Amino acid sequence: MTAMLALADVEVRYGRLVALRGLSLEVGQGEIVCLIGPNGAGKSTTMAAIAGGVARVAGSIRFEGTELPARKPERIARLGLSLVPEGRHVFGTLTVEENLRIGGYMRPNARESAAALERVAGYFPKLKERWRAPAGRLSGGEQQMLSIGRALMTNPRLVMVDEPSLGLAPLIVDTVYEILLELREREGLTLLINEQSSHRILRFADRIYVIRNGAIQLHGTADELRDGEAIKAAYFGFGASVAQAGAPSGAAA
Amino acid sequence: MRFHRSLHGFVTPLVLIASVALITFLGVLGGDQVKTSLTEMLIRMVVVVGMWVFVGNSGVISFGHVGFMCVGAYAAAWATVDPNWKSIMLTGLPDWLQNGQYPIPFAIMGGAVLAAAVAVLLGGAIMRLSGIAASIATFAFLMIVNSVYSNWDAVTGGTSSIIGIPTVVTPWVAFTLAAGAIFVAYAFKVSRYGLMLRASREDEVAARASAINIVRVRLAAFVLSAAIVGIGGGLWAHFLGVLTADTFYLSLSFITLAMLVVGGLGSLTGAVLGVVVVTIVVEVLRALEGGIALGKITLSLPPGSQEIGLGVVLALIMIFRPSGLTRGREVLWPRRRSPMTEVSTKTATALGPGE
Amino acid sequence: MINFLQNVIDALSLGSLYALVALGIGLLFGILRLVNFAHGDFITIGAYSLILPSTNVVATMVIGSWHWAVLIPVVCAIVVVVAMATDVFVFRPLRRSSAPTLMIASFAVSYMIQNGVLMMYGARPKAVNLWSALTTQVTIGGLREPVLQIVTIGTTIGLMLVMSLFLKHARWGVQMRAAAEDFLMAQYLGVRGNFVIGLAFAVSGILAAAVSLLFLAQTGALSNVMGVPLALFAFVAVVVGGMGSLPGAVVGGFLVGIVTTMLQAYLPPDLRVFRDAFTFTFVIVVLLVRPAGLIPSRSIAERV
Repeated sequence: MTAMLALADVEVRYGRLVALRGLSLEVGQGEIVCLIGPNGAGKSTTMAAIAGGVARVAGSIRFEGTELPARKPERIARLGLSLVPEGRHVFGTLTVEENLRIGGYMRPNARESAAALERVAGYFPKLKERWRAPAGRLSGGEQQMLSIGRALMTNPRLVMVDEPSLGLAPLIVDTVYEILLELREREGLTLLINEQSSHRILRFADRIYVIRNGAIQLHGTADELRDGEAIKAAYFGFGASVAQAGAPSGAAA
Repeated sequence: MRFHRSLHGFVTPLVLIASVALITFLGVLGGDQVKTSLTEMLIRMVVVVGMWVFVGNSGVISFGHVGFMCVGAYAAAWATVDPNWKSIMLTGLPDWLQNGQYPIPFAIMGGAVLAAAVAVLLGGAIMRLSGIAASIATFAFLMIVNSVYSNWDAVTGGTSSIIGIPTVVTPWVAFTLAAGAIFVAYAFKVSRYGLMLRASREDEVAARASAINIVRVRLAAFVLSAAIVGIGGGLWAHFLGVLTADTFYLSLSFITLAMLVVGGLGSLTGAVLGVVVVTIVVEVLRALEGGIALGKITLSLPPGSQEIGLGVVLALIMIFRPSGLTRGREVLWPRRRSPMTEVSTKTATALGPGE
Repeated sequence: MINFLQNVIDALSLGSLYALVALGIGLLFGILRLVNFAHGDFITIGAYSLILPSTNVVATMVIGSWHWAVLIPVVCAIVVVVAMATDVFVFRPLRRSSAPTLMIASFAVSYMIQNGVLMMYGARPKAVNLWSALTTQVTIGGLREPVLQIVTIGTTIGLMLVMSLFLKHARWGVQMRAAAEDFLMAQYLGVRGNFVIGLAFAVSGILAAAVSLLFLAQTGALSNVMGVPLALFAFVAVVVGGMGSLPGAVVGGFLVGIVTTMLQAYLPPDLRVFRDAFTFTFVIVVLLVRPAGLIPSRSIAERV
């Protein structure tokens, strides 16, 4: 089986700073894959590179068999790959409805777009209540829902969610994850999720990659990594033994 | 190698000054037309190097420095124009200026001091603005200077010009001041203040975190920069002999900025090189506008080509070489395998066609 | 009293021109962070497009003599093409440049257009007579007003209504607002960046064309730098109103129109000549007191 999304030896630099150094990972159809790592490890850069938000220096990113162009975010979005960025990035002066509509504009016709709006609203009854409010006035949790809903409007097959729990109360984070799970069930979505901490992820994810210093340090199924010790070691970079234990490392993919 | 290292701190200004001296030396061998262009270029070099002290180190684009040139030029002219003329035309001047006539170097320094004083007032207000807001404020400053100087009849002569300013600026006078400006600008760059300012340009947050008072450091650069540009204004007045406020407006502001950008904002070498290259481009286009005889046919470009050509050159540089010809690096000792050899040879070849 | 009302209408008429210019500049600033000096020169081109290109002192009307219903769309089309061309040839290659770089680039474009006009039409200002019927005066309750002022105010209100409806409801309008707020995020959602920017240049071109016709009908004089002062005052308006905020640009435009007209009317004659200096001092003061303008745009404030 070929992976739905496959990154091979991706390198990204910001000026002299190397953000990703030969990163490789794969996401299979219907999976929930999680990328965890400390702040500055390269998680957000990975997603930005996939979504076309940054120039990549080297490597390949293939989605459903086609090589994704670098720096062409709007074309990538049209291929069925959507990003829910860190910090939500809702359009604060636009209403909730307008925020959602933006995502629907690239659908072929207005009727389909309207239907999508109806369906997305169904997942987020809270948003329906604030339909005409400027998105900037929503609470953090509501903005996170809106950001996810807006991504759904683009009719994606794979959604990347960057740190969905950032700045949210634990209870709300649970709700967000429940919705993400429900979306996988009902819409057949594939999910790639970034998180800083592993404890919640171990419950939801099928597979986990640990990233540090711009490269994958460890990778395994959630079951394999259940006890969390290997993750901790890879996360903090304890010694060379971990790198060996970290079975299929990035380069092997 | 050891020799090189001991001289390291002085290499850039020395090479720059020597190159400019060479250009000047070759230029004065030419005819009157060449000498005029040469002097004009050297005065602009004073102005652009002065601008660079602020713009290059702080990274904040200023559209208003030509305003300081205006302030410096008028102040110097007030002090050196014939008192008889002043008593008729410039009735608003204070007595000591109206009735006196002062030595020219003293007058030009006075212009620099006034420009610096204005910079203290303006800079004190706008230096805490960041980026584009500060740029727009400098732009508003240019408008204010233009409005005041072209309408304050009793002091500036308004739209009629100030005439009869002694024309004493020769190529070598202009060269001396350009060399001085280069030296001062470099000394500022490598000074503690220059270092702090450039640190703030690279990363404002980090610079603030390391307890650099950006406002004060920027202000220091702004004032020094205005003073140098003010000297350039004084030189300009005593080169042309005639002053009109509209000289110091959008067009000159554009040309001086173009010089900075073409050479590269990031280095003093860029400021100097930019002046030389832009002058050559403009002079060549001007010559083409004048017409070139090819056998019996005279080919000439229509008027306006000069300006359009300069605009095109600037746009191309911005698109294809955004950090300018020097890419923000300084000229070093022109020796093999030096990273700046490329630029040094460029300087050398750039000098060629100008003469 | 009558005198004061007269001044008010003058102020509104001037203010509406500034508001239209400011809207054109503010739109591009919002989306691109481009402070477009060349907007004034778009206005110049609109005005010159009415006459035959020649360096003769006497202007020969070509498009300018057509029926207004043909003239207006043609002039709009010409200015839109020029505006979009500057985007394609200059600003698009500079997409990832910093705001000051874009500002200098637009300065270069402005300089090139001014001298291009000079090259094609000669350096001397030319007199033209556009829509002279509009300069007749009507008397409304003791006020004698040129029809043109009323047309100017009416056109401005009309254009602003159309534009706000467009931005509010049209799918392209909503995309423009989204792009203005967070360009990369809009692209992540499939909004075509270059298309939206091109569209913004087109809209700003239409606004510039409208101003060129209204302004020319008022002054009757063509010069290669005629648009510059309009653009300069519109900058003031944009800054005062809040950079990137379109309602701010409109409010700023009217405010600047009112301030300059009232300074002109009520400053002592000695100081009247320094009107512009006062206006620009006002900008610096606003920047100091409220760096984000009177109606700040949150997203822009974050990005600047």
